[in-house]
Amino acid sequence: MTRGDETEKEQDMDTQDTQTGSAFDEIAESPVDAEQAREAIEAERDEVEAALGAGKPQTEAQQRQHRHNHLVQAINWNRIEDDKDLEVWNRLVNNFWLPEKVPLSNDVQSWGTLTPEEKTLTMRVFTGLTLLDTIQGTVGAVSLIPDAITPHEEAVYTNIAFMESVHAKSYSSIFSTLSSTKEIDEAFRWSTENPYLQRKAEIIIDYYEGDDPLKRKIASTLLESFLFYSGFYLPMHWSSRAKLTNTADLIRLIIRDEAVHGYYIGYKFQKGFEQLTPERQAEIKDYTYSLLYELYENESKYTADLYDSVGLTEDVKKFLHYNANKALMNLGFEPLFPSTVTDVSPAILSALSPNADENHDFFSGSGSSYVIGKAEATADEDWDF
Amino acid sequence: MATVTPEMTTGKTSAMDYHSLNAMLNLYGPDGKIQFEKDREAANQYFLQHVNQNTVFFHSLKEKLDYLVENEYYEAEVLDRYSFEFIKSLMKRAYGYKFRFPTFLGAFKYYTSYTLKTFDGKRYLERYEDRVVNVALALAEGDERLAEAFVDEMVNGRFQPATPTFLNAGKKQRGELVSCFLLRIEDNMESIGRSINSALQLSKRGGGVAFNLTNIREYGAPIKQIQNQSSGVIPVMKLFEDSFSYANQLGARQGAGAVYLQAHHPDIMRFLDTKRENADEKIRIKTLSLGVVVPDITFELAKKGEDMYLFSPYDVERVYGVPFSDISVTEKYHEMVDDSRITKTKINAREFFQTLAEIQFESGYPYIMFEDTVNRANPIDGRINMSNLCSEILQVNTPSTYDDDLDYESVGKDISCNLGSMNIALSMDSPDFGKTVETAIRALTAVSDQSHIGSVPSIARGNDMSHAIGLGQMNLHGYLGRERIHYGSEEGLDFTNIYFYTVLFHALRASNLIAREKGETFEGFERSKYASGEFFDKYTEQEWKPATARVQELFDASEIRIPTQDDWRELKALVQEHGIYNQNLQAVPPTGSISYINNSTSSIHPIASKIEIRKEGKLGRVYYPAPFMTNDNLEYFQDAYEIGPEKIIDTYAAATQHVDQGLSLTLFFKDTATTRDINKAQIYAWRKGIKTIYYVRLRQLALEGTEVDGCVSCML
Repeated sequence: MTRGDETEKEQDMDTQDTQTGSAFDEIAESPVDAEQAREAIEAERDEVEAALGAGKPQTEAQQRQHRHNHLVQAINWNRIEDDKDLEVWNRLVNNFWLPEKVPLSNDVQSWGTLTPEEKTLTMRVFTGLTLLDTIQGTVGAVSLIPDAITPHEEAVYTNIAFMESVHAKSYSSIFSTLSSTKEIDEAFRWSTENPYLQRKAEIIIDYYEGDDPLKRKIASTLLESFLFYSGFYLPMHWSSRAKLTNTADLIRLIIRDEAVHGYYIGYKFQKGFEQLTPERQAEIKDYTYSLLYELYENESKYTADLYDSVGLTEDVKKFLHYNANKALMNLGFEPLFPSTVTDVSPAILSALSPNADENHDFFSGSGSSYVIGKAEATADEDWDF
Repeated sequence: MATVTPEMTTGKTSAMDYHSLNAMLNLYGPDGKIQFEKDREAANQYFLQHVNQNTVFFHSLKEKLDYLVENEYYEAEVLDRYSFEFIKSLMKRAYGYKFRFPTFLGAFKYYTSYTLKTFDGKRYLERYEDRVVNVALALAEGDERLAEAFVDEMVNGRFQPATPTFLNAGKKQRGELVSCFLLRIEDNMESIGRSINSALQLSKRGGGVAFNLTNIREYGAPIKQIQNQSSGVIPVMKLFEDSFSYANQLGARQGAGAVYLQAHHPDIMRFLDTKRENADEKIRIKTLSLGVVVPDITFELAKKGEDMYLFSPYDVERVYGVPFSDISVTEKYHEMVDDSRITKTKINAREFFQTLAEIQFESGYPYIMFEDTVNRANPIDGRINMSNLCSEILQVNTPSTYDDDLDYESVGKDISCNLGSMNIALSMDSPDFGKTVETAIRALTAVSDQSHIGSVPSIARGNDMSHAIGLGQMNLHGYLGRERIHYGSEEGLDFTNIYFYTVLFHALRASNLIAREKGETFEGFERSKYASGEFFDKYTEQEWKPATARVQELFDASEIRIPTQDDWRELKALVQEHGIYNQNLQAVPPTGSISYINNSTSSIHPIASKIEIRKEGKLGRVYYPAPFMTNDNLEYFQDAYEIGPEKIIDTYAAATQHVDQGLSLTLFFKDTATTRDINKAQIYAWRKGIKTIYYVRLRQLALEGTEVDGCVSCML
């Protein structure tokens, strides 16, 4: 691309009110394309506004109509309506991984050094996470698809749904590597009997099955950015103490994904939220905080139930506050908890960094850094020697 | 109960434990500055809260040594060679330097992985100075002056032996002192079987093992003339992978191994695909490292956009009468293409390079060895056909043959190498630079002389014949940063060139001195380019001196004399007359652990991050600040991703010309890179005379909006 082209492209993009800041070279090459894209977005938006602006749930017929529109539209990745879709899609694809790549068996020795209480806690935490990922993979992300505004958004949700299933399966890989069938069955039995865990699942599933698309996104963002973290705390804690470090690698891969999921669903929520009337906005906001309170109350009990036995509850709660704020930020709302109750242990916070930049030694693990790359053929001038 | 190992402290911890203090290094302070003081405090707290409470107390040195010998912690033979008075004076000397760990990771790493502990692993028996003294006593073998020199160099951080030596020397219950082994495999079941045994034996003793798979017949090759019988190299790799995970050195660290394959081996694509993210479980290789041997001809073919032929090792061996790894593919390429007796397949050469880069993206592997570059620069008679786990060892080998019962029919020559690295910054501050190099060479030579790996006779024989050692260097970036020179700048390259030039001179001088003292050279010296004098041409025919005023100034300020052409002529005469003791002298390893305890930047790489996140089995996640970095000189501590591959390659090229073996060179890319960028860097490296490429590392930054606020390693 010549310098002239670039300038032209930039100017053109300035006129696009949907521009979100990241530019991709492949898209909106010519002014005509961009113009079409903008028209398409506006048309789509009108449709959504019609559905949402009325402030009442969509009728059956409207929903059917909405779905129908999407069924006939073949997805064209050369006509991107929201750049964020492509950016996130690419990121998710680059981040693709399978649990088999992590040498979990290297943790077997370290697992042996945990006390029985610590083992039980760890098993329970992971079954709890399995349950959440099961919901998110089979109900949550799937339920967001019909609400998608662009076909690319639908594609991103299918990717999210698939990866959630990969996550759910990853916990099973951890179990089968570290533990016996009896212990595993015991932990799964616990997950069906624990009232707080079941309550958490119930609340979330209710909203997924409800008919408000925005509320579904709120529930989903809170799940991805908030509810998972009471569980994520433990492997980070272990790894900062040199235990189960490969398991922590795997969890960090999951966190890397969840961070993007929560961010994206929150972003899509904000896009829909912007279109609402001020009254409806206030209502949704109230709703978000009340849902968060409801979940937080339950989550506190769940945390105490799990972590009291090892005396970590206070610290995990700070972590919950920290992530609750993060979830709210993803939704575009102000943080709820003051910084005095979000001072998470620096060891945990630093371990959370989703960047892929740690330095690991080849004796102990695969690390959580590598990504699937972009292939590009070499050209003659590269071989000019 | 107080416990030693970090894994045992669980449950609730006090508000400011040392782990938390250390982690604060990775979070900006309220004033937006990096909190270096928190890390120093973490190191301090680590001693107060943990080390001091868990160290066994003795009333006197006598009581301590008696206890350690009686209870089989220390080797009596090591101490018996010295008088008690001398040992006491050596301890005084060591403690007199007032050594302190400048970082938390340095102290933590030392106490977790190196120091002597009670057998139940719960209490410490050595402080840092004790370990240094014990290593010095073990290596000096009764020579008091030498023991003092070792202590001086080690406690002052100028020379640091590699992990196996520093960890094991002088202990009664210990693994080997040698780091690294390289073995050939020939195309028969006895050799494959022996190699599995060697993998187990050598892993058990600690250290990385590399195997050359090039000679093994390909998938579908005939066995006993029956076509389509062989399973190729992949199942052999699987066997190695499992062997290495089974054997570990007293649980200290997992066995680790690498396998090398010639690019023109027919299984090359299958070999690479074992590292694919979506590879089938049956063929996926998780922990084994891969290396590819690439000859010049492959580049020539890719340049022309042609196909590259892959040759059956089975047929090549029958036609030429020597294993595939012992011929030069570049030299014989067209001959083999035209020879109808050699079965061949072809792939597109550029696609091969692209696949190489794709796999490097996904997994960081394979390493690359530029075969012809390596052999051109090799001063020793013979052929180099593989490298090792860290791609810095480059030595010649010869095959072994076996009887049916796996006994040796003839013992060939395989490779071992013991390593140790100089801290560039502290060596530049040395009162006597030449003596520092000489002492390091003597320490490494002692390790070679004391090593005899009886379980693998070809290794023992190779070591006895060659006395090969690998003197490495580390803390280049730390030094350049301290002197406010940018890594990869004109001055940076100039310094690297002159530094390595000077080290080479003293290394050869030392090896010549040892040869004169012992009246012995390495076997085959008379057939080497040292004996013919050819090696010295580039130093006697051409003047090497700093190109920039700044570098001249640095050497002047350090009072280090840069060798002149006359010095070289004199050395050449001495070497030609008396020989040198060590077949190989230098190899620059990646230096992981030892650079932390030595407070160095790794190897001659740029730093990976201003605050490095270090993760490994025994440590968990710990944070490490770049040595000599302060809030005032941050601009000289750009990380490797910002610096980019070209400057790294230029720096390595400047050093490579003075190093007889290899240098572990990692390439760093931002996540905007494509396979083409990696290919371009490989081509550039090959053209600049780089010998090997170690890992390819990618940094993916967190998606905007998902990062942790105020995190140093995320934002810089």
